[in-house]
Amino acid sequence: MVVATKGSVTDLSNGRILDDSIAKRAIESAMSYGAEYAELRLVSETTNSVTLKDGKLERAIPGQQVGVTMRILADGAWGVHSTSDYKSIDSQVESTVKLARAVASRRTSKQPRVGLAEVPIIEDEIHWKSKKDVRDTDLQTRIDLMLAIDREARDHDDIVSTSTGWSDEHIHTELLTSEGMNRVWSFQRSLIHGMVTARNETGVVSYRMRHGGEGGLELIEECDLGAMGETARISALRLLGAERAPSGRMPLVADRDLTGVYIHEALGHPCEADLVAAGDSCLEGRLGQKIGSDICTVVDDPTMRGGYGCYPIDDEGVDTRPKNLIVNGVLTEYLNHRETAYRYDLEPNGGARAQDGLHHPLVRMSNTVIQGGTHKDLDELIEDIDFGIYACGSRGGQVDTGRGSFQFAAQEAWIIENGSLSRPVKDVSVSGMTLEILKNVDGLSKDARLASPGFCGKGQTVPVGDGGPLMRISEALVG
Amino acid sequence: MILIPDDAVERLFNSAEKIGKACDSAGISQWEVYATQGYGHSLEIEAGKISMASGGGDGGFGIRIVDQGRYGYAHLVDPSSAANAIEQALSIAKMSPSIEGFELPENQSSQKVGGMLDKSLLDLGPEELLSQGDLVIQRVKELDSRAVAVGGGLGVGAGADVILTSNGIEDGGIHTSHGIGIHVSIDENEDLTSSYEGESSRFMLKDLTASVDKAVHWSQITRDKIKGGDTEDCPVMMTSDGFSPLFSVVVPSAISGERLARGESFWSQKMGESVMAGHLSLIDDGLMEGGMSSGSRDAEGVPSQTQTIVQSGKLTGELWSTRDAAKMISEGKVESASTTGSAVRGGHSSPPVCGCSDLILSSSAKTHARDRLIEEMENGYIVHSVMGAHTANPTSGDFSVTTSTILKVENGEIKGALSQAGFSGNLASALNGNVILGDSSIRKGSYSTGSMHVPDVLLMDGLRINPA
Repeated sequence: MVVATKGSVTDLSNGRILDDSIAKRAIESAMSYGAEYAELRLVSETTNSVTLKDGKLERAIPGQQVGVTMRILADGAWGVHSTSDYKSIDSQVESTVKLARAVASRRTSKQPRVGLAEVPIIEDEIHWKSKKDVRDTDLQTRIDLMLAIDREARDHDDIVSTSTGWSDEHIHTELLTSEGMNRVWSFQRSLIHGMVTARNETGVVSYRMRHGGEGGLELIEECDLGAMGETARISALRLLGAERAPSGRMPLVADRDLTGVYIHEALGHPCEADLVAAGDSCLEGRLGQKIGSDICTVVDDPTMRGGYGCYPIDDEGVDTRPKNLIVNGVLTEYLNHRETAYRYDLEPNGGARAQDGLHHPLVRMSNTVIQGGTHKDLDELIEDIDFGIYACGSRGGQVDTGRGSFQFAAQEAWIIENGSLSRPVKDVSVSGMTLEILKNVDGLSKDARLASPGFCGKGQTVPVGDGGPLMRISEALVG
Repeated sequence: MILIPDDAVERLFNSAEKIGKACDSAGISQWEVYATQGYGHSLEIEAGKISMASGGGDGGFGIRIVDQGRYGYAHLVDPSSAANAIEQALSIAKMSPSIEGFELPENQSSQKVGGMLDKSLLDLGPEELLSQGDLVIQRVKELDSRAVAVGGGLGVGAGADVILTSNGIEDGGIHTSHGIGIHVSIDENEDLTSSYEGESSRFMLKDLTASVDKAVHWSQITRDKIKGGDTEDCPVMMTSDGFSPLFSVVVPSAISGERLARGESFWSQKMGESVMAGHLSLIDDGLMEGGMSSGSRDAEGVPSQTQTIVQSGKLTGELWSTRDAAKMISEGKVESASTTGSAVRGGHSSPPVCGCSDLILSSSAKTHARDRLIEEMENGYIVHSVMGAHTANPTSGDFSVTTSTILKVENGEIKGALSQAGFSGNLASALNGNVILGDSSIRKGSYSTGSMHVPDVLLMDGLRINPA
């Protein structure tokens, strides 16, 4: 039986789900079939999501899900089996070894065998405790906090609807490997978000907001939720009257949200070593090369507590650490997992993440931040711009890592004219080429910090944090 | 090898019945149990080789209870923990607002929809899937020695699902799927071009190489670069592949009855009015044979329908789930509404919500082959894929995306490719302008919002291309 709710039969932060004898039998069986490496990773997630529409409870969904993924490396190739029926995992060992061998048999002499970089073999448990365990939060508390946003967000006749959401999760992971790795870790994430829709005779617009990160109820309680709702309302009403953005090449100043999305899409993804290995990264072979302006220093840091992309241990059991992707414009490090670290003879840096227990780990970002610069504030960044765009709030982005082209879209924006913000515009998107636009970053404000939490899709979806300071790009393709 | 156990549906029914009995024991008058179990094999392609093969299964149960118009939901993996889930759903229901008139749907007879299951897929083992992967990789090399399959994969799946309710709905079945995604690039002379193509079906894909051929073709054709000109407001011919992702973000949410009633759709307050070019129609078909988003019943057990949403350019229909319809009536946002059999769900962990099924854009006017569309356009651009379709605004229809598979057309002839361009406009306005559809209606994948069946489309008005 799977019971992952606090207070019920099994408190997972203090116990284990994987039956030790089943797990050991599966791993020993894989090795007896000639596997080079075998791994079992179980993830149990206790989740709660709540939605209010126009301030009324629309749905609340408590849930429990468990998945286990078995990865087997045989003859230098991977076979994988994932299931929510974790008790039967040992029955799938032989077929998974066969899968790996079938993949291996297709490898040509020019294609490298999969190998794994050596890492410390650790047996331990790490449980990141939240100040206020989110599993102790009752539904009414969640609703009350959401209503704090909703009340401010709806306070105008032109706001025709509001939608407020809540999502929290307690994640418990167990990892056992044939090398003797035996690690258990747990942590929590909490998120509150909303959307307002405004309508008048000029049209209909919407504006979204998010707050959250790694942690429990305290993260939400610390936020000025009323101010968040008010900001959303004001922005939506401003967008109603905004004109369409101009198109063309022009200077761009981005707020923290967009700076974060920019650095995530334009730099972070091409730095993922599995994409480099696939021949799908414009940064292949560029370690040590200057790819950005001197003021660009970018860190991906899963240890940045509170960030939505935090995790204590990566999904291969490797301890996490900050990764310096770019230092003063020079590409210094790829994000990697054990396979790509082995392939490129790099130190494993804890970049393996899987969506859940039913997916295998890929190389992923965590909290990706461009460091602050020397400009005092927005005024100083825009004072010498004759005509440009100040863009705020993210609607998301996308990258073609092979080509090195990317796109991201802003929620709202202003025209900059003669060194000042003049009028609001809407539908601003920015596109460019990674290897060009990083060199065009010519101004950063001093204060860098994480922006709104986000999600990253790469076949699997994982929570991420990103951010930085206000950033000026001397020339960007807008619209 | 059999992909799914013969008795998969029976097992799910047995478990659902036990959960239903537990609901009865708890004194719950209206309950719904949804159960699902999926199995599959897949392989991943990377750097011109198969990099990984995997298999597995996933499943669970969702419980929805309704009491005096209040509803609660919980999901679980193991039916033996149902009591806890039922208790959670009950406690949520107590805090939910009561919606007058909201009850779970009664059982009605439904029409059987064919083409949901291909028995040959049930016997498709991992080795055969790997052989299909070999074929795909080989095909890339045969077509162009410079081309590499840098990413993608193949997958085959079978799923069983069951719905059982206190109101007598008892339905279940098995469905299959087979899919390919292939990302091809050509990197030569410091110029990398690429294209991603994909296809999926409930049946064994007849021609696995079709996606490969298309990916290689677009990787080749976009190598003939020309210099981008000035920003232009001009006609754009979007291929089915390029149009479908944008269409799927913007249009399905606009036809939800609830969003229309709440003023969240660009088509709110426009029922009966012209919202598209006069020759265009939009049909949501929940009964399409072999449709990836079709079936005899929707996600809350209501018989599926084929419904016209836009008829000859006029908005005539909207989509409703049982709860949304009751809620909008009780809030006074609409005078009348009833379910259109349009409840969908993302699996056992999600309650039913309103969504489209197989959504078809069609034209009563003469449609044309792609070459003829290009002639009709005279001067403009062809866009085959866009980056950032998900950033389009479904509330307003505004979008501003980027494309790297774009060809310039002058005097009805393709002049060459741009390396990159911004592409923006308002999709609702563009569809309400001068539009010509191509003669191929291709289903382009399944999105969270349903399955899109859109042909090539020539949009003459309101679009802007901003060459890099």
